[in-house]
Order: sequence, then C-alpha cells, then structure tokens
Amino acid sequence: MIGRLRDFFSNLFSAQEEDVSIGIYGPPNAGKSTLSNQISLDLTGEKMSNVSEVPHETRAVEKKEKVAIEADGRSIDINLLDMPGITTNVDFKDFKEHGMEEDDAKGRAKEATKGIVEDVKYLDDVDACLVIFDSTKDPYTQVNVTIIGNLEDKDIHILVLAKKIDKEEEDTERVRDAFPQHPVLEVSAKEGENIDKLYEEIIGRLS
Amino acid sequence: MGEETVSGVTIEFLSKKKLQEESFDEKVDSIITRVKENAVVVLEEGWSPEEERYLIEHAMEEVDEEFPGIEFLGLNERDSKIHKAKRMFYEKVLNEKYRQGITIVGNSRVMERVKKERDAVSFLAKLEEEE
Repeated sequence: MIGRLRDFFSNLFSAQEEDVSIGIYGPPNAGKSTLSNQISLDLTGEKMSNVSEVPHETRAVEKKEKVAIEADGRSIDINLLDMPGITTNVDFKDFKEHGMEEDDAKGRAKEATKGIVEDVKYLDDVDACLVIFDSTKDPYTQVNVTIIGNLEDKDIHILVLAKKIDKEEEDTERVRDAFPQHPVLEVSAKEGENIDKLYEEIIGRLS
Repeated sequence: MGEETVSGVTIEFLSKKKLQEESFDEKVDSIITRVKENAVVVLEEGWSPEEERYLIEHAMEEVDEEFPGIEFLGLNERDSKIHKAKRMFYEKVLNEKYRQGITIVGNSRVMERVKKERDAVSFLAKLEEEE
C-alpha cells in the first residue's frame, strides 16, 4: 500500500515536471513558421524557423525546448514544435514554377515528403495543438478534417488560430463555421495582434 | 484485333463486400497501385481519421518524380454526434470498424478542384497533358 502511494506521488511529481509539447499544425504556407518565430522571439529572443513564400520551407520538425509562457500570474514551460505543413501530394514541378532548378526542386520534394511522414507520426506525441488556418482560404479541406479528427480521437487539446486576418479577402467566419466544435482565435503574427491572448489561452487550458 | 487506345480516367467502384476481403494494409497498397495508374477509386466505405492518416503517410512514402501523391475525399457524417456514438459502439462493443460512408482516392495529377462540404464532395477528373 505504502509502495503504491509512493508510486502515485512519484508519477504525479514527474508528470508535473515534464514539459508540455505544443505542435503547430496546418496546411503549407498557412503561417506556422511566422507564428513560431513570433512566439520564440518574444519568449526566448531567438527565431526558430526559416520563412519563405515557396511552400514546404519547413521540411523537418523544428523544436524549441523549455519555452516559458507566463500569463495571469501563472507560468508553464513548453516545447514548441513547428511542424511541416501536411498535404497529400508534393509535386516537384510546383517548385519549378517558383523558379527552382529541376534538381533542387526534386530534392525539396523528397525532403518535404519525409517531413510530412515525420509530422504525421508526431500526432501521437503532442500534448496540445495550435491548428493554423489561412483565413483567406477554405479551411474545410479533407486534410484539415483528417488532422482535426485524429487530434479529437486522442483527446489532444486543440486551439484553432485564424491567421492572415489583415488581408482584404480574409473570412474568419468561414474558419469558425468549418470547425464549430473548437474555439477560434484570430491572430496576426506579423502585427503581434492577440499574441498575449494566445498565451492566456494556452495557460488557461494547460496549467 | 487489339483494343482501341482511348485516353481517359478510369473510375473504379469497389463494393463493401469486395473491400471486406482485404486487410486494411492490403487495401491501401492496392489503392495506391491503382491510383499510380491514374485511376480514381471509389470505395463503398468510410474510413476513420487514423486510417486516413495512414493513407497520407503511405502515399507520401510512395511519392517520386512520376507520382506526386494523392487527393482523397471522405463522405460521411463524421462531425455528427450520432456518427461518433455509432463509431464508438462498433469499435468498443462489437470490436469492428464502423464503415458508413464513401471514400474517394485518386492521383493528384488527375483530381483537381477538389471541393469538400459536409454533405457533398466534388472534383474535376483531368487528363495529364503530354510534355
């Protein structure tokens, strides 16, 4: 009995000591790396990912460990994971249209597919997810439905973020309508709009 | 006399009964093989999010210069509470998959303008242009 109690408190203690892993998921070019950089710069003074107009700039999971988030007098340490954009196809010809040489385009496509496989496997290992949608595009796609469905089945905390809200063609209502079962926060990483609100939401759900 | 060569997209419809004959892994292998040959495969069954995720993973592992990957669409009522309850019942009580719905998988160079709504899906089946 005493042994079981000791194990219980030991597990409780170790669970509290473990950092929370937060994955930033979403389609390619939704603004995941821009947001990761904003959070990382804000909280650690360092960027964590490259950003590019060419899709699949992030082709491997970028990790920033021990990032301390504080809000409302509370604080938690998180491991922030900037994930490659998940898609079902990667055509090297698309990269050539962005001006890349054929060999470079083929290399990028190969790396991108590996990144997506790694990304998909990580769905088992995150404690919470920020799922990012470009609010100028239709979020109700099969890939997004599949990602959200997997997270829901594993009871992983989900916060949907609508990005690019400063664009003229933004339609945040469409994001809200697509996944009404989840709260949606509008953020602009470039302007830093609602980033503090994002920290409050993370702390409120995970601490 | 040989068969006349006609350009087009083959659309294969696979019945529930036929699909039950294969394991899930065999089914995905066979679908990817067909899709690489530019067929669009319509399955008389719905898939779980985890199965769809496996399809994405498997398709990505097959991508090369000739095969850019897939588009796929699930038409089911997965968002509804009744569907979720039925799925739970089948998986937890009957220990089998709940397969209501249809699933469509095709080569991404063939399936374009893919549109998903809660109760309808559509796409344009396109022939790849010769280079």
